[in-house]
Amino acid sequence: MKFSSIGFSTIVLSVLTFSCVERINIELDDSYTRLIVDGAITTDTTAHTVMLSSTTSYYYNQVIPPVTGALLTLTDGTVEYSMNEDAPGIYRTNSSVYGVPGKTYTLKIKLAEPIGGYVDYEASSILYPVNTLDSVSLAFHPDWSDDGIWEVKCYVQDPPTEDFYRFLISKNSDMLTDTLDEWFVTDYRFFNGNYAYGAPIAYLQQHKDDEVLLTGDTVKVEMNSIGSGYANFIWEAQTEAGGSNPLFSGPPANVKGNISNGAFGFFSAYSATRAYTIVPDSI
Amino acid sequence: MKEIFAALIFLAGLNLVSVGNCCSAQVLPKKVTISGYVSDSDNGEMLAGVTIYENTLKTGTSTNAYGFYSLTIPAGNYNLQYSYIGYQTLSQKGVIEKDITMNISIKSAETTLGEVIVEGKRTDENVRSTEMSLVKLDIKTIRMVPSLLGEVDLIKVLQLLPGVQPTSEGATGFSVRGGSADQNLIILDEATVYNASHLMGFFSVFNNDAVKNVTLYKGDIPAAYGGRLSSLLDVQMKDGNSKKTGFSGSIGTISSKLTVEGPVKKDRTTYLIAGRRTYADLFLPFAKDKNVRDNKLYFYDLNLKLSHVINDKNRLYLSGYFGRDVFKNPFSSIGFGNQTASVRWNHLFSQKLFFNLSLIYSRYNYQIGTPEDEPTSFVWNSKLGDYSARFDFTHYLSGNHKLRYGATTMYHQFNPGSVHGTGTNSIYSDFVLPPEYALDHSLYISDDYKVTGNFSVKYGLRLSAFQNIGPATIYSYDTEYSPVDSTVYGKNKIFNTYVSLEPRIAFTYILNDISSVKGSYSHTVQYITLAQNSTAGTPLDIWFPATPNVRPQVSDQLSAGYFRNFRQNMYEVSGELYYKTIGNLIDFRDHAQLFLNQYLESELRIGRGYAYGIEALVRKDEGRFTGWISYTWSRSFRIIPEINYGNRYCSPYDKPHSLNIVTNFEISKRISASATWIYATGLPVTFPTGRAVVGNAIIPIYSNRNDYRMPDYHRLDLSVTFKGRADKKWHDELNLSVYNVYNRHNAWAINFVRDANDPNVTYAEKTYLFAIIPALTYNVKF
Repeated sequence: MKFSSIGFSTIVLSVLTFSCVERINIELDDSYTRLIVDGAITTDTTAHTVMLSSTTSYYYNQVIPPVTGALLTLTDGTVEYSMNEDAPGIYRTNSSVYGVPGKTYTLKIKLAEPIGGYVDYEASSILYPVNTLDSVSLAFHPDWSDDGIWEVKCYVQDPPTEDFYRFLISKNSDMLTDTLDEWFVTDYRFFNGNYAYGAPIAYLQQHKDDEVLLTGDTVKVEMNSIGSGYANFIWEAQTEAGGSNPLFSGPPANVKGNISNGAFGFFSAYSATRAYTIVPDSI
Repeated sequence: MKEIFAALIFLAGLNLVSVGNCCSAQVLPKKVTISGYVSDSDNGEMLAGVTIYENTLKTGTSTNAYGFYSLTIPAGNYNLQYSYIGYQTLSQKGVIEKDITMNISIKSAETTLGEVIVEGKRTDENVRSTEMSLVKLDIKTIRMVPSLLGEVDLIKVLQLLPGVQPTSEGATGFSVRGGSADQNLIILDEATVYNASHLMGFFSVFNNDAVKNVTLYKGDIPAAYGGRLSSLLDVQMKDGNSKKTGFSGSIGTISSKLTVEGPVKKDRTTYLIAGRRTYADLFLPFAKDKNVRDNKLYFYDLNLKLSHVINDKNRLYLSGYFGRDVFKNPFSSIGFGNQTASVRWNHLFSQKLFFNLSLIYSRYNYQIGTPEDEPTSFVWNSKLGDYSARFDFTHYLSGNHKLRYGATTMYHQFNPGSVHGTGTNSIYSDFVLPPEYALDHSLYISDDYKVTGNFSVKYGLRLSAFQNIGPATIYSYDTEYSPVDSTVYGKNKIFNTYVSLEPRIAFTYILNDISSVKGSYSHTVQYITLAQNSTAGTPLDIWFPATPNVRPQVSDQLSAGYFRNFRQNMYEVSGELYYKTIGNLIDFRDHAQLFLNQYLESELRIGRGYAYGIEALVRKDEGRFTGWISYTWSRSFRIIPEINYGNRYCSPYDKPHSLNIVTNFEISKRISASATWIYATGLPVTFPTGRAVVGNAIIPIYSNRNDYRMPDYHRLDLSVTFKGRADKKWHDELNLSVYNVYNRHNAWAINFVRDANDPNVTYAEKTYLFAIIPALTYNVKF
C-alpha cells in the first residue's frame, strides 16, 4: 500500500486544478538498442509466454520490433522446458507446463544476432506461494467522481512474511487491467499477518466506457504473489510510464529489471489465485 | 584547512594581546562610551543594522539585532551620524566627559515624501561594512514588487536578487548559490522554521504585516549560526507599535489579513497580533473538473509578539507563530504546519556588554487521513520538534573591536512517520517508524575588528557538536544496501557524536570613499537533511539526522567582491565571485523510497559537489525611480559514484543565467507603478532517449541524468498602487497586479504521454501553472 500516493494525489489534484497542459516540441537523441524481455511462469497449467523485442527511439511511434529466431529454454533446476516461437517474438512452452511454489526458474536466451553487444541473456525468479483469495466484493460510491465509482474489495489472509501482490481485474471475459500502468501492486507492510478484510484493490470509474459495470456482470479478480523484485519493477515502470512533476517526482531513472547483460524487462515467476463476484442491483 | 585554523588562532591571540594593551594603558586620553537603542520615531520599532559613524574620528559601529549600539571614543567633542536605508540621517553633536546613554529615534524617509526633501548623506554601508554575500530587505521594498495573486511574498522578492533562485515556478523554496532548499537555515525570531511554505509552496509562511526586516546571508554566515550549508535567512518580527494602537488589514483576491498592534503601556510594553487566512477554495467552484469543486484548500497563520522594557538594563520579547494548511476532498485530507515560540531576554551587563538569552521551541507536523470508520480508513502522522536554548554576548571592546560570543544547545525529536488504521475492523496493523533523538550544541566567538581606517576583518570560529541519543536501532548495510545487522541503543544513551570546527573569516578593504573590495571564507556543517528527491519538494518530506551511517555534509566557500557606489551613494553597484565545494553530499538512489521507510539510510548515495558563479547587482533605493537589476551566472555540479555511472551531472538547481529587473516609479504622490521582468535558463532535466514496451505500456529509456534542459523561463509582472487621500489617521491603498503579463506558458513540468487515439504514438506535453493572472488587493491602516 502506497500511502504517499494518496497524499500526493490529494495535493496534485489541488495544484493541478489551476494548471493547464499543451503539446510542445522536444527534440530527443537516440540511445543504443537493447533487448526487451517480458515473460513469466505461473502456477497455472498453460502455455507460458516470453516476448522478445528491442528498444527503439522514443518517438518510434510504431509497433515495437519483435526479436525473432532466438532459442529459449526454461528450467526449474531439474526439468528443462523448451519454448517455441509461435508468432514473431512470442515464445511459448507447451500447454501442460505449470510452476511450483518454492522453485527457482531460470530463463536462458540465445539470440540469432547480437543486440546491445550480447547474444546470451539469462534471468532467474523464485516462484512465491500465495494464500487463497477467499472472496471479493463490490461497493458503489455514487459521489466519488462523475457517474460514481465501483470499489472492488478483497478478503484474504496475509501471512507473516514479506509478501508482494499484484491484482488483475476482468469484467466478464474482458481483462480491464490490460496494461502495466493499470495493475495494482501492493506490499505487506501495513497489514502484515492480518486478515485483509475488504482491502480495496481497484476503483472502476463509471464514466469510462470499458469500466462500466451492469447488473449481472461478473467481476473476476486474480491475485498474484510476485516477490519484491517484480513488484519493484512494476512500481518503477509505472512511475516512469506515468507523469512527473516538480513536487513529488524524483529524477527520472531507468527501470531496473532482472535480465543479464543490460537487457530491459523482467522474467517473473508467480502464483495465482482467483475469486469472482456478480454485480448486484446498483445503489 | 589546517593553515586557516592556525592563522585564525594566531589572529585571535594577537588580538587579545592588543586588547589587553589598550585596556591597561589607558592613561593618555580618557575614553568614554556612548550606548543606547535606535528606534523608528513613528512606531518605536527597534532598528537593527543602523550605522553609527563618528565623523571626526572616522570610526563607527552598527546596532545589533535588538537595536542596541555601543561606541567608545575619547572624551571631548563628538559628532555622530545615525544612518539607515529608508530613513533620514540624524546628526548628534556635543561634548562628552563621561559614559552616557543615548536612545535615538530616527524618522522614516517615507513620511517626508513629497514634502521637503532632506538631502542627508546617504548611507554607504554597502561599501563600508565587513559583511558581504548578504541581502537585506525592508518591508517597503518587498511591498513594491508585483506579486502572484496580490499576495506579496518576501521569499519571492529574495529570489529576484543575485544568487537566489526559486526551486520551481512559483515556489517559495529557494536555492542559494546552487545549493538545495534544505541547505537554508530559516529563522523567525530565532526559531527554526522547518517548512517555510504554504499552499504547495506558492506562498511562504511569512506575513509581511508582521515582519520588520529580512536578511539573507548567502556565503559569510555569522559564526553565531550554523547547521546549514548554504545560507541563513533571518526574519525578524515587528515588536509592535509602542506609540499608539494601530490596525492594518487587507482584502485580496486570495487572502485577507488583519494586524493589531500597540502599546499596553506606552514605551514599555507593546503587542502585535497578525492573522492571515486564504480562501483559494473560493475558486474551486469554477474549476473545470467538477469533482474538485467541493474540495477545501486554504491556509491560515497567526503571528504574536509581546515586547516589554523591564528597565534600562532589561528587556523581554515573546514571539509566537502558528500556521496550518488544510486540503480536503471526499477521499482524504491533509493538514500541515509550523509552530514556533521564542522567549528572549536582553540584559546589559554594562554599556559595553550586551547579553541575550533565548529559549526556543519549534515544531513541524503533518497528518494525512481518509474518511473515518471504514475498514480502510487510516491516519498517517509525521512530526519533528526541537527545544533549544542559546545565549549571545555582544561585547563592544573598544572602537576597534566588536566581539560576539555565545553558546547554543538544542534537543531534536524526529517522528518520521506512523500509520494507524482508524476504522472498526481496520485492515491495517499499526505501522510506526521509531522516533529518533539528537542533541545539537555549539560554541562560537567572532570579532569584527577595524585594523585601520580602511581595513577591517571579521573572523570567527564555531565549534559544533551533534549527538545521537537512544533509544535507537541503527542498521548496518552490506554493499548492496541491504540491512544485514542492527545495534540497539538504550534510552538516553549517547551513541554517536560528531564534532566540527567551523572557521569563518571576512575582510573589507576600503579603496576610497566610494569603493571597496571584500573577501570571505566560510566552512559550514549540516547535521540534518531533508529527504527530498524532487526539485520543489512537498510538505510531506521529512528531515533525518546524521547517524553513524550518515556523516554530516560539509561545505567550504570562498567569495570575493567589489563594491562601489555612484552619485553620492545613489546607486549601489556590486559584483561577487564565489566558489564552493560540498563534501559528504547526500543524493538519493534511482527510484528512492523516502516515505515510511525504516531503511531510509539505504536510499542515500553519498558524493561531492561544487558550485561557482558571478553575481552582479545595481541597486537604487532612493528617489522617485527605484529598483535593481541583478544578473547571475552560476554552475552547480554533483559527482556521486553510484549515480549516473559516477559521471558528473548538473545539480537540479544548476541555472547558468539569471536576470532580474525590478523597478518602481512614483508617478505622483498617490500613484506608483512597478514592473518586474525575470529571465532564467531552464532547469536541467532527464529526458527519454529510447522506448521499451512491457505489459503494453511504453517505458522510457533515459539519457544521462540532467542531460537536457527545460525551455528558458521568462515573465513580466506589473502592478499599480493608488493611495487614498492622505489623512493623518487613515491610510488606504488599492493595488492592482498582473502576473505574467504577456501570458507566457512557462513549463512547470514536461511529460511524455501516449496519444489517446494511437497507443503507439507518444508526444511531449508541458504543464504550466500560471497564465496571465490579474489580482486586486485593498490595504488599509489606521
